Amino acid sequence: MAAAGTKEDDRTAMLRHALHRLLLAIPVLFGVLLIGFLLMQVVPTDAAVVRAGPTATPDVIEAIRRDLGLDRPLYVQFGLYLWRLAHGDLGVSIINNVPVTQELAATIGPTLELMAASLIWAIPLGILLGTVAAYYRGSVADRLIMAFSVAGVSVPVFFVGLVLIWFVGFKWQLLPFTGRGGPLWTADGLRAIILPALTLGGVFVGPVARMTRTSVLDVLSADHVRTARAKGLSERLVVLHHALRNALIPVVTLVGLQIGFLLGGAVVTETVFSWPGVGRLAVGAILSSDLPMAQGAIIVLSLGFIVVNLLVDVLYAGLDPRVRAA
Amino acid sequence: MSATTAQPAAEVRPPRRAGLLRRLLRDPGAAVALVFAVLIVLAAVFAPLLAPTDPYDNDLSLAMQPPGSPGLPLGADSQGRDMITRLLYGLRVSLLMGVAAVAFGGSIGALLGFLAAFYQRWLDGPIMRLMDMMLSFPAILVGLAIAAIFGPGIFSVVLALSIATVPLMARIARSSALVVMRLDYIEAARATGMTDFRLIWRHLAPNCLSAIFVFGTLRFGQVILLGSALSFLGLGAQPPTPELGAMASEGRNFLFFAPHIAVIPCVVIFAIVLAFNVLGDALRDALDPRLRV
Repeated sequence: MAAAGTKEDDRTAMLRHALHRLLLAIPVLFGVLLIGFLLMQVVPTDAAVVRAGPTATPDVIEAIRRDLGLDRPLYVQFGLYLWRLAHGDLGVSIINNVPVTQELAATIGPTLELMAASLIWAIPLGILLGTVAAYYRGSVADRLIMAFSVAGVSVPVFFVGLVLIWFVGFKWQLLPFTGRGGPLWTADGLRAIILPALTLGGVFVGPVARMTRTSVLDVLSADHVRTARAKGLSERLVVLHHALRNALIPVVTLVGLQIGFLLGGAVVTETVFSWPGVGRLAVGAILSSDLPMAQGAIIVLSLGFIVVNLLVDVLYAGLDPRVRAA
Repeated sequence: MSATTAQPAAEVRPPRRAGLLRRLLRDPGAAVALVFAVLIVLAAVFAPLLAPTDPYDNDLSLAMQPPGSPGLPLGADSQGRDMITRLLYGLRVSLLMGVAAVAFGGSIGALLGFLAAFYQRWLDGPIMRLMDMMLSFPAILVGLAIAAIFGPGIFSVVLALSIATVPLMARIARSSALVVMRLDYIEAARATGMTDFRLIWRHLAPNCLSAIFVFGTLRFGQVILLGSALSFLGLGAQPPTPELGAMASEGRNFLFFAPHIAVIPCVVIFAIVLAFNVLGDALRDALDPRLRV
């Protein structure tokens, strides 16, 4: 954390940061869509032929080409592309002729499920470990937690996944390790998500612990904490009620900054566990040169990333009443 | 340095490289990491001399031999290729990908950061807004998009990792350069009629090197981790090229019969990334505590 500036300055800066992010999201969104559009321009196959299917006559293909605007200039095509996107039309898969939106709709749920199941245990554990480390600063516990944290950001996600599959799934036969077992409210569904969620959450605990520790240490030296101590409150009460509560505010933002890290982990985790999510769909589509599908998946992942980042900025304002009032 | 006696004037200067190494080695974790990193780099450089066989030499009769088999201390992979040889050459490919990405993306990022700081009035805004936009794309999405456009391969991974490194390095270089720009001697050098280019090259850049170096070290570990993940997904190095992530991916198919094929490259990636992360942290503490986040 920067040493200069008061807390009040920090808050204003954070609000400006949120506004700044909101304004930045517009050109970024445009960039995502432009990249998606250009991706489709490098496809060697004719979109009209693909859409018409293998038995179509040349007349039909010509009609579809006109319909899709493929005979118009590029900038008109980009406009039409945006129009179709807005209406949920992302084209059809080159491989199996299924509409891209249909595949995406089936995979978004599992990806969100996996992320939620990972964060639901990783964030609380990370916050707990980070608080313990800050409270017992310099102790063996602190050193162990920080070592664990560095290991967490250094370990390949697929390594964690493979070790869990090998031991828990294969050797001990405790849990399934391929695919989704069904809805989460069924026993099979719950059993199937445990290993993927342990894998993805496992690499997230370290960064959260590290950020919480820094943040709690910052707050522990603040005036109101000193006042609380001077009042004679127990150390535990001081840490839990006065320090941790305020320390969590920057942690929210910092966790938001790690969403990219989470996304990368999710793509790998889905592949390792054959989890039917957007990340696995994107990788499979790229490997089989199914560009419409790859484009759709990349657009959805990018949009999700942009939206989550904005939400984190808003959540930050919601957590801190001073920002809300401003 | 003890403070018991008055030191000669020369000793008052901040300790330079020799002192840095001594301070690094004082931290046992950093010392181990440094030694390990040096060994890894040497192993990669001298792979052709150290490797007992050719990395593409396969002998199917040896396929999936476990570690400790005669003549195969680390066993053989699914094609009966010596794991030690594959690892040594795999290190080469993985480290080269990391070096290329950090060098390429880092140079462009540092240059942009310097320009933003030097021409603060008219370049800072545009350059840094562009960097913010680039930061809006997590590295994994850059990797997926580049692989979709150019097709899977080492080139795609290096390009993606370079692009993902540019905005991060630009931020580091800019904030470091802004501090230097406020110092008197830049003004003094300018007064001597030096051109902007010489000012940046001779005075600004050298004084930002420690920050860039620290970040480069930390970034190197992250880039190796990301690159191996992309290769593991099949988007990077393609078989039979020996590359650590690709080796792990290949071994995944034989996890239940010959776990060593996947586990050994995973452990090596883990160790390399851990070493560079520990080293980067220690370097930051030793060189430039202000960078501590």
